[in-house]
Amino acid sequence: MGMIGRVRSQTADASKFVVDWMEHRTGIVTLTEHFLYEPVPKRGAWLYTLGSATLFLITLQFLTGILLLFYYVPSIEDAWNSVYYIQEEAYFGALIRGIHYWSANFLLAVIGLHMAQVFFSGGYKAPRELNWVVGVILLLLVIVLAFTGYLLRWDQDGFWASVVGMKIGSYTPFVGGATIHFLLGGDVVGPATLSRFFALHVWLLPAALAPFIGIHLYLLRRHGVFGSEFEYTERLAKLHENQRLEEYARYELDEGEEEYEDGENGYGDDYGDRGDYEDRRS
Amino acid sequence: MAELQKDPITRSDFIGFTVFGGLIGAALTIPPIAFLLHPVIDVDVLGETDVDQEYQEVGPISEVPADEPVVFNVDFPIRQIYGDEEIQDLSGQGEGSGTTLTNAVWLSWRTETDEDGHAGESFRPEWLDETTEGLTPEQISEAEENLNILSNSCAHLGCPVRWVLIEGEGEFLCPCHGGIYDINGGYVAGPPPRDMYRYVDYEVRENGRLYIRHEYDAGSEYPENGPQQPYVV
Ligand code: HEM
Ligand code: FES
Repeated sequence: MGMIGRVRSQTADASKFVVDWMEHRTGIVTLTEHFLYEPVPKRGAWLYTLGSATLFLITLQFLTGILLLFYYVPSIEDAWNSVYYIQEEAYFGALIRGIHYWSANFLLAVIGLHMAQVFFSGGYKAPRELNWVVGVILLLLVIVLAFTGYLLRWDQDGFWASVVGMKIGSYTPFVGGATIHFLLGGDVVGPATLSRFFALHVWLLPAALAPFIGIHLYLLRRHGVFGSEFEYTERLAKLHENQRLEEYARYELDEGEEEYEDGENGYGDDYGDRGDYEDRRS
Repeated sequence: MAELQKDPITRSDFIGFTVFGGLIGAALTIPPIAFLLHPVIDVDVLGETDVDQEYQEVGPISEVPADEPVVFNVDFPIRQIYGDEEIQDLSGQGEGSGTTLTNAVWLSWRTETDEDGHAGESFRPEWLDETTEGLTPEQISEAEENLNILSNSCAHLGCPVRWVLIEGEGEFLCPCHGGIYDINGGYVAGPPPRDMYRYVDYEVRENGRLYIRHEYDAGSEYPENGPQQPYVV
């Protein structure tokens, strides 16, 4: 056996040993297989990537957000300057911040498309209702994240957009005033406002987002994506069964034909009226 | 359900659990909630404000011409989270360098307008052309009666309104959704539900300058929300 061959077989043995060792102690291999492989329907397969695209963009937000935190200073004196520093001086700062900004924008669009796909394919129906509910919670969290992030730049754009947003909130019946004073941290925009938005954007909302993403994925795996192969097989089997029964029933009816003579058009006696009604409308 | 209930709970157990659970629950939830809601309690329950209640100088009223409003930036000292004045003084952040809230205040002279907001005669006092200081009490009250002291925060959703000239005629225009007001701050067109907010606590002093406090005519629409209306300026 040559040198190369020996190294190759030793490496293979070693990695097999490591993988077996990990599998034995953590079950990681089975888990990975379980999480990676999932039957999805052939038809419209690309539309099923919208959820993954959402997850990808949220991951980007977390990664770039954490990077931004190394330079961002959450105080009214320094916030704008630190964003300026990120943008103009930090190496690749414009890229990191740009990704955080554009990914936030695309995130909202992609979430909308993802929801539309679930809606139009009927993927929210039993037994997946709860995952729709969790999805709506995720949507609301992301909207509030986008809202709170915008003030952090502390420039004219972000400032006034937030003022308008808060004023819209202030028209909420009964709790409008309290909501607005909660966000402001007082009764006017000031240092407390920025601190609160920062705490919400960087700690509270991401921390709330993470477990709901976990629940969303868990429920997804529990029921499979809507329209997945086995579901189709099951449904097709049911459909065929129904067709067979209908056929059978029709065959049985043939023998007592007389009873059904005047029901032939399927609409019964009212059909004439319906036609009239439609004429009148046009 | 019934099968799950292995140990029957007695009445005194139940009361014990409720009282004990209630106490622990209160100890775990009240402090963080009160901590977060501190500003809401201060503002909505105790009616406090972050804004210093001293009069702040706006500027000399003689600078405001008859047919056009003029904007002045007014800094109101506020006490929000970096609040303690003594600490600020000790750390060299004395008066004038603390945190402020800047309001852009539009001043104009009361002007006759028709329903479409076209301006007519102005009530700018004529003596202002010669006398800019050392006003008599009569002059002061005439000036106070005829000044419009307007917040630039749009009565719709709070964007900053500005004065624009369109075909030779001026109007306050809001950049956000196109709300329009006349020179007196009166509503002309667009989504705002009312006239511009006016500062209601003001005085013209002998030196010919205007001083205001941070307080608006909230209108009777939302009386429950305290004196600092609109919410955000
Ligand atoms: C779904 C998740 C998120 C969304 C939709 C979002 C959205 C935004 C938006 C719209 C901005 C304003 C960006 C700009 O205009 O420059 C922003 C800024 C910021 N975000 Fe996020 N964000 C998310 C998650 C996070 C996370 C997880 C962190 C940190 C742990 C973070 C940290 C920051 C920081 C430090 C800024 C200020 C810097 C800047 O304005 O560029 N974000 N975010
Ligand atoms: S905020 Fe001025 S018109 Fe909407």
